[in-house]
Amino acid sequence: MMESLSGLVSEVMVRGQFIVLLYFLGVNGWYLTLLVSSLLEMRRHMLVIANESRYLLLSSTLSPTISILAPAFNEEATIEGSLRALLALQYPRLEVIVISDGSKDRTVEVLIERFDLVPVKTIYEQRIKTKPVRNLYRSSTYPALVVVDKENGGKADALNVGLSFAGSELVCAMDADTLIEADGLQRMVRPFLYSTDVVATGGTIRVVNGSEVRFGRVIRIRVPTNPLAGIQVVEYLRAFLFGRLGWNRLGGNIIISGAFGLFRRESVLNAGGYLHDTVGEDMELVLRLKRLSYEQPGPGKIAFVPDSVAWTEVPESTRVLGRQRDRWHRGLADVLWRHRSMLFNPRYGVTGLVVLPYYVFVELLAPVVELAGLASLVLGLAFGIVDWSFAALFFLTAYGLGTALTAFTLIIEDLSFHRYDTFRDRAMLFWWALVENLGYRQMTVYWRLRGLWKFLRGRKDWGAMERKGFKPLAAPTARA
Amino acid sequence: MVNEAESVVVNEAVLDVVMLVEIALLGLAAGVYFSHGLWLFVTQKRTLEEMTAARGSLARLLTRGTINLEEIEALRRMRRGVQAAAFLEISRTQTGTGKDKLRFVAAEVSLLDRARKLCESRRWTRRLRGARLLAGMDVADPIVEKLFSDPHPAVRAQAAEWAAAHPSPTVITAMLKMLADPATQARFAVQDALLRMGDIIAEPLAAFLETHSGAPAEAGLRVAGALAETRFLPAALRLSAADEAGVRVAAAKLLGGIGSAASAERLTELLKDSDSRVRAAAANGLGRMQHWPAASQLAESLRDSTWHVRRDAALALRAIGAPGTLFLRRALKGDDAFAADMAQQILDLPATATG
Repeated sequence: MMESLSGLVSEVMVRGQFIVLLYFLGVNGWYLTLLVSSLLEMRRHMLVIANESRYLLLSSTLSPTISILAPAFNEEATIEGSLRALLALQYPRLEVIVISDGSKDRTVEVLIERFDLVPVKTIYEQRIKTKPVRNLYRSSTYPALVVVDKENGGKADALNVGLSFAGSELVCAMDADTLIEADGLQRMVRPFLYSTDVVATGGTIRVVNGSEVRFGRVIRIRVPTNPLAGIQVVEYLRAFLFGRLGWNRLGGNIIISGAFGLFRRESVLNAGGYLHDTVGEDMELVLRLKRLSYEQPGPGKIAFVPDSVAWTEVPESTRVLGRQRDRWHRGLADVLWRHRSMLFNPRYGVTGLVVLPYYVFVELLAPVVELAGLASLVLGLAFGIVDWSFAALFFLTAYGLGTALTAFTLIIEDLSFHRYDTFRDRAMLFWWALVENLGYRQMTVYWRLRGLWKFLRGRKDWGAMERKGFKPLAAPTARA
Repeated sequence: MVNEAESVVVNEAVLDVVMLVEIALLGLAAGVYFSHGLWLFVTQKRTLEEMTAARGSLARLLTRGTINLEEIEALRRMRRGVQAAAFLEISRTQTGTGKDKLRFVAAEVSLLDRARKLCESRRWTRRLRGARLLAGMDVADPIVEKLFSDPHPAVRAQAAEWAAAHPSPTVITAMLKMLADPATQARFAVQDALLRMGDIIAEPLAAFLETHSGAPAEAGLRVAGALAETRFLPAALRLSAADEAGVRVAAAKLLGGIGSAASAERLTELLKDSDSRVRAAAANGLGRMQHWPAASQLAESLRDSTWHVRRDAALALRAIGAPGTLFLRRALKGDDAFAADMAQQILDLPATATG
């Protein structure tokens, strides 16, 4: 009896090992497809933008109007610098709407003092139900600035209020602490000029940790020495220049970072705006817009613009990073669950048949498979079910190929934008790419599993983000 | 638990192959990455030197009006990409004689000949590059006109950008024809080019609008709306009755910009249009014209089922002045709660607010 049971266990483990191995081969094979796709897309993009003049767009009265929606919650220390950088963005027809989401500190007072705000009355159509607006201000020195002071309702609620007040054709959703490059909007608006079918565009988010920032602009780019931040630089490059760019060509982009995205305002309003009861509100909105484009006539293309760049600060402590990754994974699970009827549904074309299955089987379930693979490998080795040669093959397939693909992402960055141009930065990036799989990746597996577990238990809290602030700002910028 | 014979053993040859492939891939990646870094280090230094020298030569040319043969020779010897970048960078800051001088030197160093050759290339990316060079240098060359019918929309858009600075009758006719371009990118560039040409296009655009309808007419109306010339009035009146709502909206905006009794009369009729965007544009137009005789019709629009129409009608009443305000106050006491609410919001606005 015991013998047959142990035989069954070993049989399951052996077969399970092979399934996991095949899974990783499949995943890495798909990554290879994305890599080739992103290389081709980047080449095409670089040829199109070579010697491009955007001065005409800057002075054209036909350029689409853009409203930047910047939600702020307790941003007293950084709001002035961030806002001045936004007001200095190079775009001709720009409106900046800061939405103070029930800030408990002096965010609104600082804005009133520094930007000469005066209370105004206005009329707006409330197509989306939101928390009440307390006050509305306009600046007497910056005509493009509008400040909305509302009761606390979360980022999604703040963005929905901003959508109601915005008077532009396009809205740019961002985090208040995102640093958009001066010409970022000019670059990001391109797909809207190229096609009436575009509903949203996203830019590249890069890691600002370690770089030098002055007056809301990144003036010296450096790879951070902190291992967590350094590895995240590589991760972000892979996610944007390899993942999203690759999907761009295949027509399967469904993610636009909440830190920097441009949307057709009317389409977002028609879709009902951002949802409040999800932690993945940015992905949810994009997927909903995509879904609606299949269900009713209207624009539905999601475009990624690699040369439009915004900078963000990433967590440097495992505690905060863990919370962030846990939240991201919960968000992913929640969004995929909400739109589960699209999965394998031919009505939704590439999105239903290719993109969503990829997100379920590769992005969502990857930590489960990886944990199962690692656990059974350890047990298998301990009980002599698998040989060391098999373990080596497992690691080479699961991690080695991934490392090689990441290294090729660095090449894409270097061939196109080469933002990290010193030998020190290149060496550090390569180093972080090599060591990513030695501990960091396993930690993210744990955090993502925790997120999945919390999702199954119905947790929807955000967790707090701690930031160190950009160097060399004189003012303290740490926030809870 | 399990004997050795049952354990999973991978063939060593397979393992060796996988390991070798991965080492080769990583080695290749590292090699390419660092070699490219080294190559960039060397070329960037050289590029900087060349750019500095080119900027110096071209700046002397522009300030003193002269350039010596050695400098021309140095500019000619530069790598093509750097040479083009140097000329384009300075050309974008110049007009008139400054640009003439730059063009003269660009011709001397064969930059313009190369741009012409690029325009004839079979590859669209090269044609785009050629058109960008000729547009950036403002070279009046008929070769760019051929690109108006290029198969690739990016090239057509670039050619249209060039056209803005070369508004000959042939070019204007071609641009008007391109208002029907199926590619949004090209249409945007064409509309922008026509606007930049200024008053010179008023007559041909008016003629175009009188004979066209649908999407091309809508694109033309957008350009006309920015110019708001009285010559567009007959076409605007005709197109305000078009089947497509988008065309009627653009026509209503143009009528509001032009003014005149005929415009006001037509806009008043459009307050009853079946499409809410047209009704809103009509109300907005009447407000821009401050056409007080339409106040009672605008007051009717306060009861419209669409928020935008009610808002634009209320703002128009406010813009009209005393008669409009009277109607807004009457709406406060009316039986329509939506009209009363909108009237209240508009009356509450500060004097300087635009809504």
